[in-house]
Amino acid sequence: MTTSASSPQQQAIRISNVCKSYGNYPVLKGIEAEVIRGEVVVICGPSGSGKSTLIRTVNRLEEINSGAITFDGQNIHAPMRTKELNLLRSRIGFVFQNFNLFPHLSVVENVSISPIRVKGVAPGVARDKALKLLDRVGLADKAGAYPGQLSGGQQQRVAIARALAMEPPVMLFDEPTSALDPEMVGEVLAVMKGLAAEGMTMLCVTHEMGFAREVADRVWFIDAGEILETAPPEEFFKHPRHPRAQRFLADLRH
Amino acid sequence: MIGDIITIINDYWLLLLIGQYPNGPLGGLANTLILSALSIALAFPVSILFALARLSKWPLLRWPVTVLVYVTRGVPLLMLILWSYFLVPLLTGADVPSFVTMLTTLVIYQGAFLSEVVRAGIVALGEGQMDAARALGHSYLSAMRFIILPQALYNMIPSMISTFVATIKDTTLGYVINVPDLTFAASQVNNQLLTQPFQVFLILAVVYYAICWSLTYLANAVERRISRRRAGPANDPASPSLAQAKIVSEQL
Ligand SMILES: Nc1ncnc2c1ncn2[C@@H]1O[C@H](COP(=O)(O)OP(=O)(O)OP(=O)(O)O)[C@@H](O)[C@H]1O
Ligand SMILES: [Mg+2]
Repeated sequence: MTTSASSPQQQAIRISNVCKSYGNYPVLKGIEAEVIRGEVVVICGPSGSGKSTLIRTVNRLEEINSGAITFDGQNIHAPMRTKELNLLRSRIGFVFQNFNLFPHLSVVENVSISPIRVKGVAPGVARDKALKLLDRVGLADKAGAYPGQLSGGQQQRVAIARALAMEPPVMLFDEPTSALDPEMVGEVLAVMKGLAAEGMTMLCVTHEMGFAREVADRVWFIDAGEILETAPPEEFFKHPRHPRAQRFLADLRH
Repeated sequence: MIGDIITIINDYWLLLLIGQYPNGPLGGLANTLILSALSIALAFPVSILFALARLSKWPLLRWPVTVLVYVTRGVPLLMLILWSYFLVPLLTGADVPSFVTMLTTLVIYQGAFLSEVVRAGIVALGEGQMDAARALGHSYLSAMRFIILPQALYNMIPSMISTFVATIKDTTLGYVINVPDLTFAASQVNNQLLTQPFQVFLILAVVYYAICWSLTYLANAVERRISRRRAGPANDPASPSLAQAKIVSEQL
């Protein structure tokens, strides 16, 4: 699973020399990386290192200044019609730190609205599918509730179900558990582990070491807009090579 | 005094209610309400279009509407009414009925005011809702229509009612261009009686006050309800989640 060994058919996402700055301030400095189909990658790094920015460029919620991000053989940052971009985006699931559920819609509507409105799935079919997904994340009994009535952990599980409803081959997570009370972290991680076990390709920004150890195939360590180290989790956590990775892990354990 | 008022109402209630109709144009209170309702009904979609234009990333859409909104908000309504009254026929050569002039002016004016409310409502939702909708593949317009606007507009309902109240008051200015509304009818009554302006205009004031006060009362009630709902139905013992879940599962 090294960068050079994978063929384009195996690649789910390929990030090539991506640079981005806010004004004069460079946030991503020539990111070079790839995610293989079925792989679970955990991104970690200090606060402000560019993790969110990087993961948001993958579905083009953020624009980049140069480079390319290939998904399904297409550069998602190439000039293209918005229709095409929306189609590509709909095939990349995204889970936010703050859930971003739609508060005016019930749980089942949150999960079914995009299949209905974006994909044109029949409402009845979309609802059945949404109920199955809610069952899968353990929230079948909350279908009619509104997001404001749910705990953070429940909301995040709904958000995962909502992303899955578009049947994306790839899921991105930006610190999905860091806005949660500690006792709710486990239920969200359990859903993510289930996804990983089913072979979902996942790119997760998270500082949950246990999760990384258990399900990640590789960890990317990012600092100041650069990927300084990529390694299998065992290796990364036991013997981080880069001094900044060593310092980061030491800080994290305190 | 009270006797005078009762006599005036007895003699002129029909004129105050519907003006000269059916022998002349519809006027009086009916026309005031129709004018207000029409302007708010038209100002509402106009305000959404204005707000979307002001939030647009295209300067060609953003700038003209921004200028229009600023000018409209920075000028007294009476000035706008006189402009449309004298300028529009001059520019178009058409003889526009005063009702239409008044309606158009009110729609632009209230549309500009409401557009600021819509815009603030959209901005207040934060980026997260739009991000989530885009990440799911919604187009900008689809996200606006199904995700952003339903929330922003729902939060706006009290402002809409207040604007409606303001519009009812604003219609009185139609008097200067002879829109046959309630004020116009009252002044006709006054011209016929000549000696009882106090009584006539007291009736006028009481009618406006009654209408505007009831609508304001309604707006406050709705606002309380909305803030209760926003606090989360979880805190509302009247609608436990179980009952709602049941309703929805029955719909399924
Ligand atoms: N819209 C913006 N405008 C200007 N600077 C920004 C913007 N968004 C992020 N930044 C800056 O870019 C850098 C990277 O931010 P980013 O959110 O990607 O970091 P992060 O690794 O996700 O941090 P955290 O762990 O705190 O979430 C930070 O220094 C941040 O201040
Ligand atoms: Mg972040």
